Amino acid sequence: MTLLVTEHFTLRRPQASDLTPWTGFYLSERGAWNGGGRDSDEGRAWRMFAAFIGHWEIHGFGPFVIETAGTGSPVGMTGPWFPASHPEPEILWNAWSTQTEGTGTMAEATREVLRHVFEDLQWTTAVSYVDPGNTRSLRLAERLGATVDADAPRPHPDDRVLRHPNPGQRP
Amino acid sequence: MLIPTVTTDRLTLRAPRESDLPAFAAFRASDRTSFLGGPFDETDSFKQLCAIAGHWQIRGFGRWMVADRTTDEPLGVVGLFFPVHWPEPELAWSVFAAGEGRGVAHESACAARDYAYDSLGMTTLISCIDPANSRSIALARRMGATPDGHFDHPRSGAIHVWRHPGPGDTP
Repeated sequence: MTLLVTEHFTLRRPQASDLTPWTGFYLSERGAWNGGGRDSDEGRAWRMFAAFIGHWEIHGFGPFVIETAGTGSPVGMTGPWFPASHPEPEILWNAWSTQTEGTGTMAEATREVLRHVFEDLQWTTAVSYVDPGNTRSLRLAERLGATVDADAPRPHPDDRVLRHPNPGQRP
Repeated sequence: MLIPTVTTDRLTLRAPRESDLPAFAAFRASDRTSFLGGPFDETDSFKQLCAIAGHWQIRGFGRWMVADRTTDEPLGVVGLFFPVHWPEPELAWSVFAAGEGRGVAHESACAARDYAYDSLGMTTLISCIDPANSRSIALARRMGATPDGHFDHPRSGAIHVWRHPGPGDTP
């Protein structure tokens, strides 16, 4: 069982009990950045979350659910996502409630995920693909030290590619 | 949970793996998925392969990759399907071109039904089949299933139900 721990959060594999908060997020306006949104439906939300769980079975790694230490309440997701059609593995994130915004939660959790992929999984590089209209995610990527990689191949022509610094690699 | 492995005379029903993706994606990109809303692209098929694995973790049962017992070549996806909006667990089958015309669907579906009744203690099963899918209807009949009305799915509309004989009544 892969578990990551930060000052305020525990990061664990996604599980069935996360479906309700995930679905609430996915079917909200903010879920549109993650393939959901108000026009989507609960069936799609269910399948997407089953895929996050199954990503761990298929690849042996995958996205983590962020649990608030103490209460155990799940507030979002951050971690690796690597569909076969991706040019390279990605770090994705999503905060499930607007209450999480502006709290530093995603930055704290994603910093630990970046440590995990570079140190534990021995990745040499990591990107995040962000829609240019998703300003909150662009700001988070910037805050994490990621820089725009204009030449990198991307899943969708509109995606912006943010490349995360690998602390183990000297420039 | 660890996805269980079931073997029959000629087949292995096992957890899906990353190496199954080419065969699975080729099947989903073909007109063999016309009754399932296809064809689907590779990204979708990756998500679906992950979701097949994730379904087991959410429900405690799910669908297997059906592989040739000798060569491990993937031949289809068969098992128990119970996503949100489904009224009850379904015995579902899909066979790739490589498994066509060899009784793969029948052999694996019977094994999956036995597993549901004998190992999980289920007492009834349905199969959801498009009325135009004559091959699947023939298989349902061969397994002793009979038409049992339909249910209304919020996105897909009317879904036609076949009811399998219960434990002890299977042919």
